Amino acid sequence: MSDLSKTDIEVFSHAIDQYFKQTTHEPALIEAAYLADNAQHAPPTYGFTGVINVSAKYAGAIYFSAPSAMMRHVLTSMKENNQCEENLLDAVGEIANTISGNARKHFGEHMEISVPEKIIGYPSALNKPSRDYPYIILIKWKHYAASLIVDIKKLQ
Amino acid sequence: MRMMIVDDSNIVRSRISRLIEDPRLSNFSLVGTASNGAEAIKLFTQTSPDMVTMDLTMPGIDGVECTEALMELNPDTRILVISALSDKATAINALKKGAQGFLYKPFSDEEIIDALLEISAE
Repeated sequence: MSDLSKTDIEVFSHAIDQYFKQTTHEPALIEAAYLADNAQHAPPTYGFTGVINVSAKYAGAIYFSAPSAMMRHVLTSMKENNQCEENLLDAVGEIANTISGNARKHFGEHMEISVPEKIIGYPSALNKPSRDYPYIILIKWKHYAASLIVDIKKLQ
Repeated sequence: MRMMIVDDSNIVRSRISRLIEDPRLSNFSLVGTASNGAEAIKLFTQTSPDMVTMDLTMPGIDGVECTEALMELNPDTRILVISALSDKATAINALKKGAQGFLYKPFSDEEIIDALLEISAE
């Protein structure tokens, strides 16, 4: 089997929910979840993106992407006054890391995860995704839109 | 209780540093922070903390290797692993290397204060 199940994807939605509830005391809503068609539309990203690469029996990456205004608001919720660009990038990386790390409870040791990469602008790796159709989870936190892109596949 | 924070995230180090100011942790003081395992080992030998909060996924020497190294330097050190890797095997491995506790990310302020108090009382 080379695809991911519905349960595999729900693990990520649950991890998003847990992160925002625990860290900001404000729940995040899952607005939509769908399979992206890269040929038609690029996966939605917003300014700052944290990337976790996966390896072992999986390949690909997990992306958490959010606009700078949202990340500033997240830092304020965490009582972090230093909202320099480095900390905004650190925060998207930490969110991607936490969501991916939590998901690993479901996938087990067969999914190794990297330290976060932090990117300003569109992640070029998404131009050549691991999956034909990456999973897109659209998130709303307060009035901000963000996304989680699950572009991982099981290796045969 | 002299404490050192090890995490590759600025905002996590900063958050835990602020929590040490909580009145319930009045007997805690921060000796320093490190953003990777190599920095942590160097800072540990310079400051000899009583307690360490330890991230696992870090560039270079990871948290499990770092825990093992710190326990070799001083087996009386109390180490609280704080990690997003929430699978049981990872937690057991960290505990086998000498950590006294494991707190999963994401954590609330209350959870980390309780965990620090619990480990310091052991």
